[in-house]
Amino acid sequence: MSDKISYSFSESLIKRQAEAEKQMLAEWKSGEYTLEKPLIKLNPYLINPLAAVVLFTTEEETAITMTVYGKEERGNIVHTFPRAKEHVLPVLGLYADCENRVELRAYEGRAHEITIKTEPLSGDAPKLCYMKTEPEYTSQDLIFVTPSLNALATGFDYRGDVRWHLTVPVVFDLKRLKNGNFLIGTERVLQMPYYMSGLYEMTMAGKIVKEYSIPGGYHHDQWEMENGDILVLSEDPDYVTVEDVIVLLDRETGKIKKRWDLKDCLTPGEGPSGGYTDRDWFHNNALWYDKNTDSITLSGRHTDSLINIDYETGKLNWILGDPETWPEEKLKYFFKPVGEGDFDWPYEQHACLVTPNGDVMCFDNGHYRSKIREKFRLNKDNFSRGVLYRINKENMTIEQLWQYGKERGEEFFSSYIGNVEYYGEGHYLVHSGGIQYYGEHASEKPAALMKDDPNVRAESITVEVLDGKVIMEMKIEGNFYRAEKLPLYHDQDNLPLGEGIRLGEMGVTPEFDTLIPMEPCGELLSYRYEAQIIEEEDRFTFKAIFEGGQLVMLMLENGEEEHGYFISTAKNKFNALCCGTFIENDPRSITLSVNKAGLKGTFDVRVIVDDKKYDTGIQIRCE
Amino acid sequence: MLKEVTQEEFRQEVDKGLVLADFFSSTCGPCKMLSFVLNDVDKTCGDKVNILKVDFDKNKELVEEYEVSGYPTLILMRDGVELKRTTGLQQKPVIIKMIEDEA
Repeated sequence: MSDKISYSFSESLIKRQAEAEKQMLAEWKSGEYTLEKPLIKLNPYLINPLAAVVLFTTEEETAITMTVYGKEERGNIVHTFPRAKEHVLPVLGLYADCENRVELRAYEGRAHEITIKTEPLSGDAPKLCYMKTEPEYTSQDLIFVTPSLNALATGFDYRGDVRWHLTVPVVFDLKRLKNGNFLIGTERVLQMPYYMSGLYEMTMAGKIVKEYSIPGGYHHDQWEMENGDILVLSEDPDYVTVEDVIVLLDRETGKIKKRWDLKDCLTPGEGPSGGYTDRDWFHNNALWYDKNTDSITLSGRHTDSLINIDYETGKLNWILGDPETWPEEKLKYFFKPVGEGDFDWPYEQHACLVTPNGDVMCFDNGHYRSKIREKFRLNKDNFSRGVLYRINKENMTIEQLWQYGKERGEEFFSSYIGNVEYYGEGHYLVHSGGIQYYGEHASEKPAALMKDDPNVRAESITVEVLDGKVIMEMKIEGNFYRAEKLPLYHDQDNLPLGEGIRLGEMGVTPEFDTLIPMEPCGELLSYRYEAQIIEEEDRFTFKAIFEGGQLVMLMLENGEEEHGYFISTAKNKFNALCCGTFIENDPRSITLSVNKAGLKGTFDVRVIVDDKKYDTGIQIRCE
Repeated sequence: MLKEVTQEEFRQEVDKGLVLADFFSSTCGPCKMLSFVLNDVDKTCGDKVNILKVDFDKNKELVEEYEVSGYPTLILMRDGVELKRTTGLQQKPVIIKMIEDEA
């Protein structure tokens, strides 16, 4: 037995990337690198093994056209970089485990071909089952998927070849920004199961340009406003209720400029879905700002409805969903179905969007497909679909204009996650990312809670439909939160240099009000709990294994000053696992992160387990 | 006043004013934590509410009668009529507010 529990310090990803970039640029500056003999750095930002940077100097200012050769001509990825003498060019779209050929061609000048050897991808890349595309299907765009279980964010080309992959579990929506970078949730968990510290603004090469930390954390979705500010789904930092707060972040400072609490326009418990809990009463899994109406549309899985609120006032404008079980005073906000065609309400839906003409789309998971417990439909008898509704707010009517997926039944059914994308009238993407089978039929229990069970099979099917015809269908193993179709390169700065910026704040980790009156027993926490502490610049994380039913509280103690953090050892700690990526295989595992914000001094870390308070031998210093 | 009760004792007490029933299990970490919280709550507003702790595993008849599906579950009652119910571990201010709203 060692004299203290396992301890490590983890430098932030943004700092490690900055150091790697600094070394790369220093190496380039210290040598004479030309178009014919450039410096080549594979995976320059440590998290994208299918990206490289080539660095060289030309005597004259010249534009460079880069061609990353595909396995066939159609798979070539071509991009022209603007005129420069000093060229620091990201190479995107490499194949794994391959001698990749890349051509560098100067404008009206010479060309040179280089070879970049990549390693095989590790086990965290998803396995393709099939990719079917029409011959005219675009080859410059990739289908990006983001994690929901163990496999990580990946981009597939028209053939189903992996051309982009990140090796850190950044999660939830990958949304491209006007400057060409994208926003995605960090890999830093604030609160289990998936309340993340905030967002990364990242380049396709994997470089973090900005890190936004948010006191109430980030989950599910974000939106870039016209002035660059960011709407983020968040929650109250005390986590008494969750997934019911939206914040507006100042793009430049990361500070919260505006905040909406959905408890101001809805009452928790109204119109509950089958997955409703008192704490996660709304389960906000999407937001969409509509400039035409200056309003925000939100998807409340645990109310089986989409709601629309006024941006300025936060007042409720309308509710799109099955009105059954909602109280009388809310019924005026609901639409009445009209039209002759097929019509179904959405149930436990995800990913709402508003089209340019005001139609409303979502991925209707259809989970339970009723608000009445006695009518709940089993997953094996259910269907999921992408759906488009036309709403009329004057006479409060709704018509279902389009759907895809109902006809596929159980095979396309996702009890959770998924999204739709709008590319124009009649041109949509439908991603059923949460297909889970247990044996022969759709599973009734989340796969994230059965990771080692050989009977579980998780799949994800993404379909692109143009004028009623499927022009792309991809099936991959595993579950993926959302799918997005994007090109790798864009027409702005594809690789801004310089150290990434950390903005915003982590907030104070909520403590438990009641402390357990107990003196330290003088013993060290036993090795059998496999406890470890990972410290970072702004927080530390305690991981361990405890048996179900044990009373556990982490204590920070500095003389008379005590801070207590209760740790649940309940067997079913989580439900509605839209992102099960951080759930350990061992259900006894616990993870608790404590932010240093709000703490000052040097604290002994102690752990109460049942009737004893143990030392860990670790001290945490908070400035 | 806070005490653990049997089924019979529960039936004798439940009709007498404001009662907070705590359905707990001795195999549940959050239930153990809640018992410390309820001790504190009792110190603050024990004069307003009678806190009855009911062992979920030993009182199946009460569990069924009160439709308790998991633990810990808190049910606030007045003269035997349910007023409010919470599931899962609650912090002291939440419980005190729940009691004071009805006291």
